Amino acid sequence: MTTKSAWQLDMNAGPIFVQIATGVRRMLARGDLAPGQKLPSARDLAAELGVNPNTIVHAFAELERMAVIETKRGLGTFVRKDAPVVALRHDLLRAAATAFSAEVTALGISKGEALKVLKEVLDAGES
Amino acid sequence: MLASLSDVTKRYGRTDGLSNVSIDFPAGQVVGVLGLNGSGKSTLLKLLAGLLFPSAGKVTVFDGPPRQNRAKLVYLGENDSLWTWMTPADAETFMKGLYDDFDVDRYRALLDSLAVPKRRTKAMSKGERGRLRLAMALARDAKLYLLDEPLAGIDLLSREKILQSIVREWHTDETILLSTHEVAEAEGLFERVLYLREGRLALDARAEELRDQGRSVVQAFREVLG
Amino acid sequence: MKGFKTLFWLEYRRSGAWAVALIGSLAFWAWALFQARAVDPVELSSVRTVLLVIAAAVGALVPALMIGRLRGETRGGQYQVLLLTPPSGAAHIAARYAFALGTAAVYFGILGGLAWWVVEMAGLTVDASTAAQLVLGLPLYVVGTTIAPILAWTVLLTVFVSAYRIAGPGWIPGTVMVVGTPFALRWLVEGIARAAYSLPGWPILGSLGISEGAYMTASPDGHEPEMIVDGIVHIPQEPLWIMLALTLVLLVIASRIWREVEA
Repeated sequence: MTTKSAWQLDMNAGPIFVQIATGVRRMLARGDLAPGQKLPSARDLAAELGVNPNTIVHAFAELERMAVIETKRGLGTFVRKDAPVVALRHDLLRAAATAFSAEVTALGISKGEALKVLKEVLDAGES
Repeated sequence: MLASLSDVTKRYGRTDGLSNVSIDFPAGQVVGVLGLNGSGKSTLLKLLAGLLFPSAGKVTVFDGPPRQNRAKLVYLGENDSLWTWMTPADAETFMKGLYDDFDVDRYRALLDSLAVPKRRTKAMSKGERGRLRLAMALARDAKLYLLDEPLAGIDLLSREKILQSIVREWHTDETILLSTHEVAEAEGLFERVLYLREGRLALDARAEELRDQGRSVVQAFREVLG
Repeated sequence: MKGFKTLFWLEYRRSGAWAVALIGSLAFWAWALFQARAVDPVELSSVRTVLLVIAAAVGALVPALMIGRLRGETRGGQYQVLLLTPPSGAAHIAARYAFALGTAAVYFGILGGLAWWVVEMAGLTVDASTAAQLVLGLPLYVVGTTIAPILAWTVLLTVFVSAYRIAGPGWIPGTVMVVGTPFALRWLVEGIARAAYSLPGWPILGSLGISEGAYMTASPDGHEPEMIVDGIVHIPQEPLWIMLALTLVLLVIASRIWREVEA
């Protein structure tokens, strides 16, 4: 939860609040954030990232709507203990898979060929 | 409305610094005022501060003329405007004695976080002077902040510190107008952006809406201003 | 006046060195007066008087320059900063003026003391009350009738020029003011001359205790000349009141201009 580069905010990549919300979900999915963990205050995070605090508030509101985080009055903002970590992981994986599939189509490669490449990469990743 | 310009024109000799500009500024917005040199950014801020009078139209700040309400607004001008013999301690005496809304504790905390050295401004770098002036400005508890190119000619580290301080000190009922050339650096800060071109308002948009349409503030800047 | 204290402090920090230098320069004049040499005692007194007059001129010029430095601040941006501070134009003008005038008053007070010394060196002894008149009364009168309005005029000119300089060609109103002043001055002097002595004058050098009809001679060995006066000298009080009123008017006008200025 530190530098701007760690967050990879891209001003050309759509609304910042969306990027922040996605970032939090990604961190949760990857285990960088744990359920029940306290998030930095909107203002602190805004200062770190150099963005308007209202943008962070907007992102937090989104995440609250998605039942990923919750605000406890007087205590701060926390990741929900029942945050759908597994579902998030699957969502992210699915998103990556969709991108892979799009590339496969764009390159005009067969499904069999694509699966072979995928297995090679996964095997290499394991070792 | 915290402040507004109503069909304002400002003439300099034969040229118009601003032409028929009407803008409303509600409370609680951080507004980026963007444009090329000579587009009217400084003129806009000076009109709101009461340093200039409109040739036509009306400028209203806190429901009255700006100069009359000068105690309630903060203006940080482009020029280095402190006396060369002043130290941060002198600046504190100056501000404390003249402004009721000056918070000494906040000032000292800002001097610390902005790493302003305890020297005369004569012996400070431009970046250090800029940070001192910002500390003086942000330590005041006002509702309207007019910051004219606070990042101009200032080193990268100072600029980052300055932007961070602005984010930290801003309260949700305050309105900040910030004009800058460092659009990319400050872009994340703005809720709303105004693009001025040759004295006219070329675009008035919400930053996040622009991004929703697939344009960063920088991109829109390039498009609007050609 | 709100903020006056801080604005005065600002003046002190801005121009304090000038004030100290000015007042310190009196040591030079004291030395010059002491070192002055001439053919005979009468000429010596004249020489010393001339030195005093030059010193007086310096005492008027330097405070005026202290005020005039406002112009340099328009380029430096400090004027903008001051313009946006809450205190009224009157407070700004008053602080700037009070410091310059205060410096002048101290200077002329000490100069009055030097004048007393010159009188003493000419062989005259004066009693305590006349000494008080020389050291305090006469300087205050001089300051009130000449220095105070001159400095006020300088304030007005400076604010005038700065104000219009920022918005446009400042030298035009400034020139108008400078050119118009001699005419205004002539009218003023005539008015004062007419009004003078309508009220009883203030006696000065009255307690020298020298009888009427006496006159100054040098004794043969060159020491202890006797001062001869024709009568008791009275100075008119009208010029003082008129000039102080004029000072106030000039300062008020300057305050109004300050408020209306563009930066």
